[in-house]
Amino acid sequence: MSDDVKTAVKEFILSEFLPGEDPAELTDSTPLISGGILDSIATLKVVLFIEEQFNVTFEAHEVDRENFDSIENIARLVGTKRPQDHDQARSSA
Amino acid sequence: MDFALSEEQKLLRANVVRFAREALSPGAAERDRDQAFSRELWKKCAEIGIQGLPVPEEHGGSGFDPLSCAIALEALGYGCKDGGLVFSLCAHLLSCVVPLWKHGSEAQKKRYLRGLCDGTLVGVHAMTEPGSGSDAFALRTRAEPDGEGFRINGTKTFISNGPVADLVIVFAMTDPQKGYHGGVTAFLVERGTPGFSAGAKFEKMGLRSSPIGELVFDGVRVPREAVLGGVGAGSAIFTDSMDWERVCLFASHVGAMERLLETAVAYARTRTQFGQAIGKFQAVSHRLADMKVQLEAARLLVYRAAWRLEHARNASLDASIAKLFVSESLVQSALGAVQVHGGYGFMTEYEVERALRDAVGSTLYSGTSEMQRNIIARWLGL
Repeated sequence: MSDDVKTAVKEFILSEFLPGEDPAELTDSTPLISGGILDSIATLKVVLFIEEQFNVTFEAHEVDRENFDSIENIARLVGTKRPQDHDQARSSA
Repeated sequence: MDFALSEEQKLLRANVVRFAREALSPGAAERDRDQAFSRELWKKCAEIGIQGLPVPEEHGGSGFDPLSCAIALEALGYGCKDGGLVFSLCAHLLSCVVPLWKHGSEAQKKRYLRGLCDGTLVGVHAMTEPGSGSDAFALRTRAEPDGEGFRINGTKTFISNGPVADLVIVFAMTDPQKGYHGGVTAFLVERGTPGFSAGAKFEKMGLRSSPIGELVFDGVRVPREAVLGGVGAGSAIFTDSMDWERVCLFASHVGAMERLLETAVAYARTRTQFGQAIGKFQAVSHRLADMKVQLEAARLLVYRAAWRLEHARNASLDASIAKLFVSESLVQSALGAVQVHGGYGFMTEYEVERALRDAVGSTLYSGTSEMQRNIIARWLGL
């Protein structure tokens, strides 16, 4: 359900912040903030990318280390904001 | 983007310029000399709506869009020769009123915004600490959970309006493990809260009618309702408020640049040496031409960034570009104005020396020029 988010965020991070990196090195659970891949401006760029790409809006307090420390966590947060993800989660439950 | 002023904006600009010239400029030299902050002028500014420019009318403001706010503050900087007063007004509006309006709960807005807009309250934003300036989020002020609320301990320094503050937005670390990303929280603290006090007041080179000093938080207990925008939202609130400040405070500096240019041109047209007006010498006229180019470029950058504050998802890059260019142009313009005035420019009577002293801080506050270049480089992916 959130694979499209994961793929898009992964591609964005690879192209913006990890040019030349082996894509296999960036997994869904790679630490992004605590691992030093995203600093404050890089995180803001990821936020803007997701907001524009998936038509969601993040609240100020949501942009924290917990929610943005991995692609997995980002996708989970986006999932809570997209109605279709909610619906799919309910029907597969 | 169309930056032709609307009829409403033209009227706003004309009214602010007239008010600033008539009500705020007289006595500026004395207030600078005495480091005097004027509550009386503060109230007068509130009467024409400066302190609540973007705030919705229901909360006591005027409801102007960011571009109109920038135009009004540009007019204030143009008409008002008291740079310290303009700075205090902008600090109050852009780093306290705006974040409260944008991130506050309805209860917080109802409690504070009207007083902040009508001149009853002076607002303050407290981030900088003795050990954290450019590295703003290396802050040591802590807020620990305490019953239903928090207890704040720490000292803030270089706080504009600090000595006269009625309401403070103070940034404190609530989760050191998270740090910048969700570990910083903004709190609203009222004057009179036990443990909160204004510490040392500093003397400074310019903007001397704007008081600046330390704020001490010694076990200050605040209820959970004092949290602004949610626990952990401090960094986002700070970044947002910096965007507004880097655009609209620097709009006032564009106004100051225009006033300096007009002053210098008028002097160059009337001061004669070697049998002709000094403005006829290219060494002088080219300097003034450069000041004109910088003024027009600065204005466009500020207007574009102000427009993007409302129309773009994020204006951080535009704000940094505008802040960097305007501040460095302002310093050059002020130096140019002094140089064109020659020895007279060095005398306090001609007022350009005060403008130069006022200008110097602009490349330091709201993030130094070096930090703006760092930010711009990071946006470039460097």
